[in-house]
Amino acid sequence: MSDIQSEMRATAKQLLESGEATVVIGWEKGTMPYNSTPVMIRSAADVDKLIWDEYCQQNLSTYLIDFIYTEDKVAIFAKGCDTRAYNRLIQDKRISADKCIVIGVPCSGMKSAKAAAKLPEGAEVPMSKACKECRYPNPVVFDRKIGQDVTPWCTEKDFSDVEAIEAMDQDAKAAFWKEQYTKCIRCYACRNICPACNCTNCIFDQSASGWQSKDINASENQFYGVTRAFHVAGRCIECGQCEMVCPSDVPIMLMNKKFIKDIDTLFGAYEAGLETEGPVPLSHYEVSDPEEFM
Amino acid sequence: MSNNSVENFEPKILVFACNWCTYAGADLAGTSRLQYPPNVRVLRVPCSCRVNPQFVIRAFQRGIDGVLVAGCHPGDCHYTTGNYYTRRRFLLITRMMEYMGIDPKRFHTRWISGAEGPKFQQVVTEMIEEVKAIGPNDKLRDDMKVEVKAVETNE
Repeated sequence: MSDIQSEMRATAKQLLESGEATVVIGWEKGTMPYNSTPVMIRSAADVDKLIWDEYCQQNLSTYLIDFIYTEDKVAIFAKGCDTRAYNRLIQDKRISADKCIVIGVPCSGMKSAKAAAKLPEGAEVPMSKACKECRYPNPVVFDRKIGQDVTPWCTEKDFSDVEAIEAMDQDAKAAFWKEQYTKCIRCYACRNICPACNCTNCIFDQSASGWQSKDINASENQFYGVTRAFHVAGRCIECGQCEMVCPSDVPIMLMNKKFIKDIDTLFGAYEAGLETEGPVPLSHYEVSDPEEFM
Repeated sequence: MSNNSVENFEPKILVFACNWCTYAGADLAGTSRLQYPPNVRVLRVPCSCRVNPQFVIRAFQRGIDGVLVAGCHPGDCHYTTGNYYTRRRFLLITRMMEYMGIDPKRFHTRWISGAEGPKFQQVVTEMIEEVKAIGPNDKLRDDMKVEVKAVETNE
């Protein structure tokens, strides 16, 4: 890993010194050994802050949106999931590829910071759930690449957790979700971190519209959960950031994966963020779509 | 409220009716003197694709027992393609509501044209009977808010 890290620093230095990029987005060491947090570097003198370790799970593509109104040329380090998010943002015309330099970094899976926080120091930390199910560890798009491609450890989407819920009866499902969303404190961390959640005006910020009150209860929280999941349907690239940042351990990906599963079965297999062209499930239709409403 | 006891339960059904087909269909049911139970509230929308899935969740939150979204048959949309988008969205959201524990009998999408007064009568009658049989909806309900609203209106 240290080879990649030194190459990352050298690349960042070269980009900043040559003026090819005015800002580099990467990871730096956080306050805990199991935290690696995003960092934005503007000066070649600061490139030694950059790190590459087994906790660089955070998806950096989200931060590209912060630069859409600036004159910056942004270089971004991107794992497989970051590049898929990047593609999806380009496809939604939220960011412009002209302003970005993508430096692909193949990733062999990140460890779960949440698990590490609970384990004693030195214990073996398991891989995070989203990374275990990752099918695209290698960058799908890049201008430069650092390191060697890895062999994906998963080839098929795993919906066993979604199917377990589908198999429950109606009351058990309702009770399960009520329990999960009673824990939710609506801090909106999942929305803020999500590269697919990129509306300019978020419905949940418009409290005067009456869509959502400020009450925190299971009903309002479920409204938030379903609505957010629907807004990212066809956009979710399964990076698992939402669950990573959730302070209440709500299984948000169970909701997103349900939509992914249904989109696959109803409208044909779809992988968000592999291409920047082509039809997107929910802004597109086929006359031959399944008909259940006759 | 006597309405909440199961034996005299009268369900509240919300119908989102597209302006061009289903609303005309419901109108035809009326002018043809076709009887159906008065448990439905018809809410006219410009097109079935105007119905945001949030409307449906909101309705269940605020005490509606069943929701019907109805629009023109595919191919007949006044705006040419609106109902094709409705179809995609509601195929997904129907499954999501079921996943959240809402009984699938409470939430339907149907194509009802302006000539299908009898179909409107039949669909809503069947739906009311089904919802009556399964009782009031208690899933996703935001009861606290309903009470607060009641106090506000009394003032």
